[in-house]
Amino acid sequence: MTAAAARPAPPRPAAPPAPPGTWRLAHRDRSLLVDRRAATAAAVLAVLVAATVAVGLALGTASVPLNRTLPAAFGVGEARDVLLVQQLRLPRIAAGLAVGAALGVSGVLLQTLARNRLATPDTVGLNDGATAFATASVVAVSTSITPSAFALVGSATAAALALGLAGGAGRRGYRFLVVGLGVGAALGAVTQLMLARAPIDEANQAFPWSVGSLNSRSATSVTVLAVGLAVALPVAVVLGRRLRLLRLADAVVTGLGSRVARVRLAVIGTAVVTAGLAVATAGPLGLVALLAPEIARKAAGPRVVPVVGAALAGALVVLLADLLGRTVAAPLELPAGLVTAVVGGPYLLWLLLTTRTRRMP
Amino acid sequence: MSLLEAPGTQPAVEAADLATEALDLGYDGTRVVHALDLRLPPGRVTAIVGPNGCGKSTLLGALARVHGPQGGAVLLDGRDLATLRPRDAARRIGLLPQQADAPDGLTIRDLVRYGRHPHQGLLRQWSPEDAAAVHRALTAADLLELADRPLDTLSGGQRQRAWIAMVVAQETAVVLLDEPTSALDLGHQLEVLDLVHDLAAQGRTVVLVLHDLSTACRHADHLVAMCEGRVVAEGPPADVVTPGLVRELYGVESVVLRDPTSGTPVVCPVRRVGTR
Amino acid sequence: MDDRLALRARSRRETAQGTPAPPRRLARGLAWGTAALAATVLASLLFGAGEVGPGRALAVLAGVGDDDARFAVLQLRVPRTVVAVAVGTALGVAGAVLQTAARNPLAEPGLLGVSAGASFAVVLVIASGAGAAALGPWVAVLGAGAGCLLALGAARLRGTGDDPVRLVLAGAALSALLGAATSIVLLLDQRTADEVRFWTVGSVAGRDLGTLSQVGPVLAAGLAIALLAARPLSALALGDTVAQGLGHRPARARGLAMAAVALLVGGSVAAAGPIAFVGLVVPFLARALVGPDLRRVLAVAVLLGPAVVLAADVASRLLVRPYEMPLGVVTALIGAPVLVAVVRSTRMPSL
Repeated sequence: MTAAAARPAPPRPAAPPAPPGTWRLAHRDRSLLVDRRAATAAAVLAVLVAATVAVGLALGTASVPLNRTLPAAFGVGEARDVLLVQQLRLPRIAAGLAVGAALGVSGVLLQTLARNRLATPDTVGLNDGATAFATASVVAVSTSITPSAFALVGSATAAALALGLAGGAGRRGYRFLVVGLGVGAALGAVTQLMLARAPIDEANQAFPWSVGSLNSRSATSVTVLAVGLAVALPVAVVLGRRLRLLRLADAVVTGLGSRVARVRLAVIGTAVVTAGLAVATAGPLGLVALLAPEIARKAAGPRVVPVVGAALAGALVVLLADLLGRTVAAPLELPAGLVTAVVGGPYLLWLLLTTRTRRMP
Repeated sequence: MSLLEAPGTQPAVEAADLATEALDLGYDGTRVVHALDLRLPPGRVTAIVGPNGCGKSTLLGALARVHGPQGGAVLLDGRDLATLRPRDAARRIGLLPQQADAPDGLTIRDLVRYGRHPHQGLLRQWSPEDAAAVHRALTAADLLELADRPLDTLSGGQRQRAWIAMVVAQETAVVLLDEPTSALDLGHQLEVLDLVHDLAAQGRTVVLVLHDLSTACRHADHLVAMCEGRVVAEGPPADVVTPGLVRELYGVESVVLRDPTSGTPVVCPVRRVGTR
Repeated sequence: MDDRLALRARSRRETAQGTPAPPRRLARGLAWGTAALAATVLASLLFGAGEVGPGRALAVLAGVGDDDARFAVLQLRVPRTVVAVAVGTALGVAGAVLQTAARNPLAEPGLLGVSAGASFAVVLVIASGAGAAALGPWVAVLGAGAGCLLALGAARLRGTGDDPVRLVLAGAALSALLGAATSIVLLLDQRTADEVRFWTVGSVAGRDLGTLSQVGPVLAAGLAIALLAARPLSALALGDTVAQGLGHRPARARGLAMAAVALLVGGSVAAAGPIAFVGLVVPFLARALVGPDLRRVLAVAVLLGPAVVLAADVASRLLVRPYEMPLGVVTALIGAPVLVAVVRSTRMPSL
């Protein structure tokens, strides 16, 4: 004690030690904590996405050498290259990016909310709802209101039905999941019903939605999706921090002063918007919302809810699936939705086969 | 080190006065707790005991805002708890519910950091106080060396201590623990209960729900015995625990002895009432 | 939370006392089932998407009636009804057996990917050169068996039964996977697509009695095995350890169940294509009528299965007249609410 008193009072260090594995960015009493592993994972995923975009722009029925691709994307180079890259492929790839990001975000939000990594917009019926309503907008309603609005209403309806009937997302989310599965099956049947009733031309026009493909996108829906993402992504990133807490039991979260119900509502709203707009653009791309968060979580570690990582991984999955679908059986084109289902199905099975049922994400 | 032992970083715990006033609790239509008036002595350890389904866990949940009251109020320093912002309330009252589950792969330190949530914000994600509080909580729970081990690699007692450390890091005047010793063996039970004593010694109001009457007598300053949603007895364990109370609570004939080391009551059940 | 559980346990005990004695329940269940079956058979003969209405059809049944009506009723509706009865019986029984074997009220051949396995096998074989006409039901049976094994294996069915939903999700994943694979095969191979188009949606329309003569023996074998397995299977309701302690052989019982399900589902898929949710709805109704014992459930399911399929088929003819819609769509519309009801029932009924 005397020794301590003899020394001058220890100077207060400017920054407190950040917890291991994090970077602390501080200014005055403002501070941000960045998880190192999550940030690195996001950076790596971003690089992979960029590479896939480049390859996707270059490859196709007629390939463009990589070194000519980038200039062509900005309208520089031979007319043929510019036509292929800027006019034909760029919009498609931009749509793929946005759709994948939206599905990834929707997936990671729903999984964390339900505390169950099997809860995704496909399994709980959001995609089916959006598909049914988007189909309705083409088939049943003669005035052409943009399918995006209908898809939004559809995914919101499905979410409301699933949550309402299940009585909330619940502790392990299982009831929510199966009720969602049922809601999805019913809405899927409604889609079939509408397609069966509709005149053949309108049915053909609506068909792409029911399999999932970047081919069927409309320019309007891509724009709406981009705007939606611009709002939803920042919201999701903020919510992601709250969601870290929500992985604990409700009573713990309430005890820590978080408004559980309010966070849940915001999370569901964001998931509904992202899933609905993505489906309006590309139809229900199977299992993207399951795969993307899984990849992101593996990369980012258990400390965080990787919203940005899931968005990037989603974009990566969709772009790769589309690239595969375009090239594997050329000149025939496989819809990206079928590719993701064939790749994602075994993965989902493997997940069920190997993981313990208890704790999710 | 110097920072963490620097003056002014000791937990600033001001005693809190937690009470209930005509509190009614229940789930969809069924009353579980009826018109409860209770005052929890500040800076002491209170144990709530009673048979299964008597409403003790429900009461604890209501004290931590997990369920809202159907009637009456929970008062913190005389103010209705429901009027406080959740974050402000969480700076005064911490709760560890039963069967708390954490995501796989989380380390002890990660878990304890969650306890700082009510003190943080979107642009105030990690302050010197946070670092100090986490360090103190880990020290108090004797988990400093284990801090970076994943929770799923720990023993039951260590894991329970980690959860309590999370609540400790919250630095609240009131700490509510729901059956913190269930499913632990004797040694681990004592580890946890010693930690509880330390918390009370720092001036915190500690409320435990306990299963075992003798454990409650041994470790609590104040006992609240509940039966069918009402308080049937309240006071220092030595005054409250009698064969009559045990019969009323559990329907069991018993002999109440004195613990030779602590002088607290020890309940020896003999037989169920009405059997021979 | 223990308060709530206690309350729930108490109310459950009370309802258990209020139900009628088992023999009376069985008699009542059989009466209901027979009535439903008779009504739906009649409806199936009387109503159609075409012009022959109930009046003219009734005249045919009475032995009179014009040629058009005779053709519609005797050549179109009778075979269709017979096929629907066979398929409904098979799916209802398969559902009941599968649910008991999996100890899971959500286990359903369509949901679990058993039907998808059968479809995929058929499509694959046709794509590799076989003609649809020459194809026996065995390909579908093998596919159904493989689907069954995969889904149940994925859910680690044996013994656990603690996680009903996992099984369903495994099945959903398997169905999605096999469905997408089927689509890709069809996309790549136009000839196959043309051959099986009528068939992948699930319908009993346009099937003749020739179909049945091929599939009939398979279904009969499946039914026989199911009845054989009923007793040991119902002993599994208490869990494998207890059943073993009572001298049963759980693995053998499950093997029998699997064989029965593969035969029944494979046969019905060969006859009518994949029809989802029948195997969920029928046992659910049967259990509501006669309680959880498999033997009683089977007795009633044999009646209710055809009734449900016939009702759905009649609805499929009438809903979008003058078109018909796929039967599978109607069963999904009926089945989805039942699925929700099963999950919502306060406690997952354990089998």
